[in-house]
Amino acid sequence: MQYTATISRMKAAGAPPRLSGFAQWADRHFKWLLVAPAVLLILALSIYPLLFSLVVSFINYDFQVPGHAFVGLKNFERVVFDPVARWSLLLTAWLSGVSVAIEFVLGLLVALTMVRGFPGRGVIMSILIVPLFISPVIVGQAWTLLLQRPFGPTNYILTQLLGQEVTIGWMTEAPWLYASLIIADVWQWTPFMFVILLAGLTAIPPNLYEAAELDGVNAWQAFWAITLPHLAPMMLLALTFRLLDAIRMFDTIFIMTGGGPGTRTYTASYYLYTVGFTQFHLSQATAGSWLFLVFTALVVTLLVRRLLKAEPV
Amino acid sequence: MAAVAPARRTKRRSVPVGRILLLGFFLLFVLWPLYWMFNTSIKPSDDYLTVPPVWFPTAPTLVHYEAALFAYRGLDGLINSLIISLSATVLSALFGTLMAYSLARYNTGGQHLSFWVLSQRFLPPIGIVLPVFLIYRGVGLYDTHIGLIIAYTVFTLPVSVWMMFAYFRGMPKSMEEAALVDGCTRWEAFWRVAVPLAAPGIVAAAVFAFIACWTEFFFALILTSRTAFTLPTVFRAFIGFQGAQYGEAAALAIVSLVPSIALGVLAQRHLVRGLTLGAVRG
Repeated sequence: MQYTATISRMKAAGAPPRLSGFAQWADRHFKWLLVAPAVLLILALSIYPLLFSLVVSFINYDFQVPGHAFVGLKNFERVVFDPVARWSLLLTAWLSGVSVAIEFVLGLLVALTMVRGFPGRGVIMSILIVPLFISPVIVGQAWTLLLQRPFGPTNYILTQLLGQEVTIGWMTEAPWLYASLIIADVWQWTPFMFVILLAGLTAIPPNLYEAAELDGVNAWQAFWAITLPHLAPMMLLALTFRLLDAIRMFDTIFIMTGGGPGTRTYTASYYLYTVGFTQFHLSQATAGSWLFLVFTALVVTLLVRRLLKAEPV
Repeated sequence: MAAVAPARRTKRRSVPVGRILLLGFFLLFVLWPLYWMFNTSIKPSDDYLTVPPVWFPTAPTLVHYEAALFAYRGLDGLINSLIISLSATVLSALFGTLMAYSLARYNTGGQHLSFWVLSQRFLPPIGIVLPVFLIYRGVGLYDTHIGLIIAYTVFTLPVSVWMMFAYFRGMPKSMEEAALVDGCTRWEAFWRVAVPLAAPGIVAAAVFAFIACWTEFFFALILTSRTAFTLPTVFRAFIGFQGAQYGEAAALAIVSLVPSIALGVLAQRHLVRGLTLGAVRG
């Protein structure tokens, strides 16, 4: 109701108020003044750094060596021909692909169980979304506490369940450490899929299912004929958003494996971080991050633009 | 209607065993790491390596909390996190709302401007943080509160802008138009009419910006060191530990996750909009 109060105040003040020169100028350029702070900030802290890093990736930038000689494509070559870089890109694609696929299936299943109302649904909902509000660092820490030998109880529980001695090095042995990283990611981000897919499911008109039921369609057929086509746009959106975040994977790796053993759990972000901040080859790291950026930008333009354009809200 | 429906339903509705099992299993999966972390945080160090593990500590202790907060400077991290996250949240919500209003009501810059802002959300942070690190060292913003506040403001802006963009588009224009007709300036129509009406949306956007800042690790890791370090970066001290600091790590985790979970659960009505940048209305 504030607006009526404001308007009556304006009316009480009489005719449209006289504006000073500055106020008139501000009123005319109002829409640009509103966007200015945000745009300037993004320009200063995102676009300028990006351009700066483009320059850095073509020169020799080293804290020890004075002078910044132009080296052409040498920095890019070093990344492209580094087997660790290729491994890390492959692992990034692989880890994020598997994690997101599991999160999607699990999130969809859980969302399907939560569509209809039942007692306690509100409380369960509040519990299920909790992982979304926790720092990935803490998620990595929590799973470290559960998995790391000899402290973590996981091997003990498995021993009891399987009836034979289980001594898995969850954080150190080759196939298991990938499983650990994926479990931590699945734990944190399945709720993301679940929340979005549930919103999509509840938006499907229930009378479609009632009509199908009258026609004698079983639940499985109804899922393929009604649920899937209606949910498809939401599925695409959830998958795209999640995938774009998954390929940045860094925090849990930093905490859980530190990239090791050796370079076995290097993701793209982790690789670039070590090149830049532990080896201090800053030019090589910026060159690599530009390649990674172009790679991501392709995905963004292909998927996200189309996704959000269609949505008039 | 109501008289007919129950008869139909009860015939088909048996106890959905599969669903209950699935949901129960998933609930356990979500709660188990949280419980174990809490359990570890109050467990005396002597109970760490027993077989079988101590599921319920019989002699709970707060020594780990004390050590985590003071010996490991967790409290300093907590204070830094509060200062930095709150400042960045206010700036992000303010600038985000300003820009979103302009985009929604005046279509400023057309689709190019709004999608340019959106694209910032999907940039891999590693591409930004390297040059920002170099720039910050040059201008003296490295390891300062201000430096991280600016970085976090920019990093949360795309979400703030897009959440508010969707909110304003969903709000009727008529009241602002009435105000303009009655002689308000555009600023007054925005500040006195639109902003109060959009307050719930602004609060929701601010909550998600705060959670994003509070849980952020990567920027803080690279842009801070001994002075402006935030709570998540304190966990570096526990990496590669061999048994001695499990309790401290767990205690610090519990301290750190309480505020963001509380806020998140309170704002869960807006969660879908927050996660999809306003593309989907929850």
